[in-house]
Parts: sequence; C-alpha cells; structure tokens
Amino acid sequence: MTRFRSLYGASPLHLLAVIASFAIAGYGFLRIFDSPAPESTMLFFIAAVFMHDMLAFPLYSGLNQIATRSAGPKANYWLSEQMVQPLNYIRIPAVLSAFCLLLFFPLIFRLSADRFMANSGESADVFLTRWLGIVAVLFTVSALLYAIRLRRASQKAAAEDADRAADDD
Amino acid sequence: MSWLKPPNVTSVKEKLQKLPTPPKPKFPEEPPPGPTQPTFWKSPLRGPWMTSIIGSALLPLVIICAITGFLSHAAYNPALGDNSFFPAGGIGIDPYFFSWPTRPTFLYAFTQGSHIIAGCLAIPILFAKLWSVMPKLFEWPPLRSVAHMAERISLALLVGGALFVFFTGLLNIQVYYPWKFSFVPSHYYAAFVFLAALALHVSLKFPTIRKAYRERGVVKPLQDDLEHTVPEPYDEMTTTALEPSAPTISRRGLLLTVGGASAGIGLMMSGQVIGGPLRKIALLAPRGRQPNSGPNGFQINKTAATAGIEPSKTGAGWRLKLVGATKAELSREQLLAMPQYTYDLPIACVEGWSTTQSWTGVRLKDLADAAGTPGASEVLVQSIQEFGSFNKATLSSGQIADEQSLLALKVNGVDLSPDHGYPARVIVPAMPGVHNTKWVRQMTFQEA
Repeated sequence: MTRFRSLYGASPLHLLAVIASFAIAGYGFLRIFDSPAPESTMLFFIAAVFMHDMLAFPLYSGLNQIATRSAGPKANYWLSEQMVQPLNYIRIPAVLSAFCLLLFFPLIFRLSADRFMANSGESADVFLTRWLGIVAVLFTVSALLYAIRLRRASQKAAAEDADRAADDD
Repeated sequence: MSWLKPPNVTSVKEKLQKLPTPPKPKFPEEPPPGPTQPTFWKSPLRGPWMTSIIGSALLPLVIICAITGFLSHAAYNPALGDNSFFPAGGIGIDPYFFSWPTRPTFLYAFTQGSHIIAGCLAIPILFAKLWSVMPKLFEWPPLRSVAHMAERISLALLVGGALFVFFTGLLNIQVYYPWKFSFVPSHYYAAFVFLAALALHVSLKFPTIRKAYRERGVVKPLQDDLEHTVPEPYDEMTTTALEPSAPTISRRGLLLTVGGASAGIGLMMSGQVIGGPLRKIALLAPRGRQPNSGPNGFQINKTAATAGIEPSKTGAGWRLKLVGATKAELSREQLLAMPQYTYDLPIACVEGWSTTQSWTGVRLKDLADAAGTPGASEVLVQSIQEFGSFNKATLSSGQIADEQSLLALKVNGVDLSPDHGYPARVIVPAMPGVHNTKWVRQMTFQEA
C-alpha cells in the first residue's frame, strides 16, 4: 500500500475513480470525433479551458485593482472624515451589468441579428437599448444608495461633533 | 511438483522493493516570481469555505441541467425514424429507455425551461467558482505525482467542459453560431466530458468541503459584516492568501452580488418560459416579447419566408396526403368537415421559451383511422418545407393516440397564419416545439 502510494501519489481508490472518470470523458470525446467538424469542437473546447483563466480573469481583476486603488480604502484622502467607501457602489452595479453583457452579448451587439430575424420574425434592435437601460438603472440606484449612506454618515459625524462640543463646555 | 507450491511472497515483495522508483518531475523548490508565489494572491475572501459554498450553490444547478438535458434528448424520441441527428454508432449507453409521455401537457415546457433557466443561473456562479480557485492554477510545484497530474488533467476537462457546455447552450438560444460544428451532438457529448470530470472532482473534494463546513459552519461566515470579515487561516495547500489585503467587501456581500446577478438573469429567463405578464420582465431574454398583436401574434420559430413556403403550395390546391394501409388525399375543407377539437396546449422550444395557445383541429388518431391504420405504431409527418433539419418528425404511438394530439387548422379561433403553419400543423401535448411540424403535406402511418 505504501509502495503504491509512493509510486502513484494517492490511494488505489483515487486511481479507480480517475480511470472511471477518464473512461466516460473518453467516450464523450470519441462521439465528438464522430460528429460534424470535430476540429471545430476541439478548438472551442480548448478555448473554453483558457477563456476564464487567461482572458476573463486578467480583465476583471485588472479592473478591480483600478477600482480599488481609486475608490478603495487606501484612496480615502479625498473623502472627508465620513469614510463611506464608494468602491462597492461602483463595483456591484458594474458586476451585475457585466454579467448581463456576458450572457446576452450576441443579442446586445446584434451578432446574430439576421438569423434571429429569420427564425423569430423579430428584430434584435431592442437588446442594446434594454441593456443600457438596465446599466443606467443599476448605477442610478447605486448612486442613490451611496448618497443616502453619505448623508447618514455626515449627520452622524455632525452629531458627534455637537456632542464633543457640548462635552467641552 | 514444484509448480504446486505457493509463490514465495517475501521474494515478490523484495523484488517489488528493488524496482527503481519512477523519476519524479524535478521543479525548483522556490517558485518563480509571479502568480506561483504564495504572496501574489491577496484576496482575504478566498479559502476552502468560500469555494465550498459557491460549489454547493453550483452543483444543484448543474444536476438540474444534466437531468433535463438528458430528458430533452429523450423527448425527441431519438429511436424513431430520422429523429436523432446524432452520429451513428454509439455504444448504446445513450438514454433512449422510454417513450416520451404526453402528460402533463406542460412537461417539456417545464423540463426545458428548467434546463435553460438553471444553465443561465449557473453562469455567474461558475465564474465566482473559477475566481475562488484561481491560485490553484499556479500551485507550486505544478506536478507532485502521477495522481496529481491526473487530477490536473481532469480539472482542465472540468473547466473546459463546463464553459463549453454552458456557452454553446447560451449562444444557441441566441442563434449565434461562430463555429463549424453541429450544436446538438457537441453540446451533448461535451456534457459527458464535463459530468465525468465533475463527478471525480466532487468525490475528491468531498473531504475538503466537509472539513470547511465543520470548521467554519455552513452559513455562519455569512453573519459577518465587513468589519468582522477575517481571512480563513493560511494553509499552503489551499487557496487562502499568505499576505491577505484588507477586505473591501464581506463574504455575504460578494455572494449576494453574484447571487443577485444570477437571480436577476434567472428571473428574466423565467419570463419567457412562464409567459403571460411575466414576459414583460424578460428584458434580455431572447423571446421576451410579444412579436405581433392578434390571435396569431405569439412567438414564431422559423417564419414561412425563411422556410421557403411559397403561397402557391399552400393555397386551394393544397392536399394532405395520408399514407397507411390505404391512401387518401384531403383538402382543407374536408379536414374542417371532420370532428374538430379545441385544446389549450403549450408550444415549448428547445431554446427554453414557451407559449400556450388555444388550438383547433383534427385528432391525429382520426387521421390514422382515415389512413386505414387505427392504432398506428408511429407516424412520419413531412412538411412542405424542402430544406432544414426539422422539416419532418416521427411521432410515437402514444403521441398519435393522445386525444389532445391535433393536426391544427386554427389557433385562437382563427385560421393559422402562414408563419404558424397554414394550412395545417401538428400540435402534440408535451412534445418539443420543432417536432410540431408546420405546413404539413404528408403523414405516413406505420401499422402496429
């Protein structure tokens, strides 16, 4: 048993599970190779492996860093003492808008407008407007919530100042 | 008789121990600069609990997608006629075990609606899951053993399979095809790859998930607001950060954002499944609109113009050819003179939208009788449409025999419009939309 472990790096059960899983995955690939244009399927499959890690992740983590540097905890020098961080009031509507775009970009950018029209008899013109409308509502609601938080914080700060002034007397 | 002696166990053991140890891949002990450094990753929220909770939300959605996906395959009755457009020569493990039922009438609207809604709900959560395990991609050393290598290969199949399956599905419902392959077989068989890798992943990670929940509670970390959000303790074998930065959002804040994106998108998608007033909130869903007003104003799949249906072929000269034990040709007037039945039935598309309308026409079983084939075992329905993958469909005996299965001539009290299949179309309860052949020209019944 220890010998097996030192050779393989895990228990025999692990190996059995790996073999079972690879066998089913192998069947899937075999059938893909029997289907039309397998090279196209494989190309998109490999692209899918890298899509998040090499494309989406660098993009959104880069944007997040910019947002954090310009509106995060270390960027508060331009804020007054209220210390209400605007970061999440920017990030959250941005994330929601981005997911809407990620899911519906073919319709939003009219990438399949002709085929969409041929299939449904409907125009794909509305989706960009609707997405922009959703973005506008999300950021407006977020701005309102931020304004309310700011106001509450400044009222609280004023009250504390007044208390301190009263204590000093 | 030395061959009867049991083998010398000790000598076998000795021999095994004398075998050379396989060479281990050699990597420098110190990771190179960059993302392989444990100090590179700063998020205070990453850790086994975070990954476990996201995974626990994702898994049920994937299971719903898998079950409803296999059911959708069965709903097309792939064993009948030319219904299957899969490559020939499967090894018989595709689930063709049963004949798709006709009750409840909303069955396919429900299963396929669930497939599409669950798939859309899963995508934001999948991205969160991938974010949460990013440091693992750069773990050092990159390969520790054969087992570790096998696991990493399986993870590539898992990530590739998941994104392939979810995004091909997502683009298919928006009829956007930037590829050369055929959607159905590639989506279906990539799901085998994805699910095989997922099953392995969940079994191997089960102890990690259990440990994370035992140590931190399943939902307890959700009680912490930003001030009380502390990183999970560092462990070099996990995704925790060695030098975490100060949190800028609480765990519940992050999960609510992802869950909110997921729920909002799911709500929009459910609008095009459930229909009625809910369709108004289906803002970005492909079929969130009422395309036209009037009795024929509901959603269309493939217009008459696209299908190449010339008015000359659907006019007064149109005849329905019935082929069975006998042959018959019926004009639309003759069909209208037969007993007419009206039922409210949904049309449910594989793309995940559905719409329920009131259909009037002749029962399929009456047409089987007219073709001299009562109790027919199957019927091949062919359209005037000359090209396209769904210009014909083979229906099962159960679908022919159901009293609500119609060759519809009218919808909502008026003649079908050309886009909805005038002069006649099939409408069978719980059957996938595209099998309800439009512009029918011939029905060929098989004797039982």
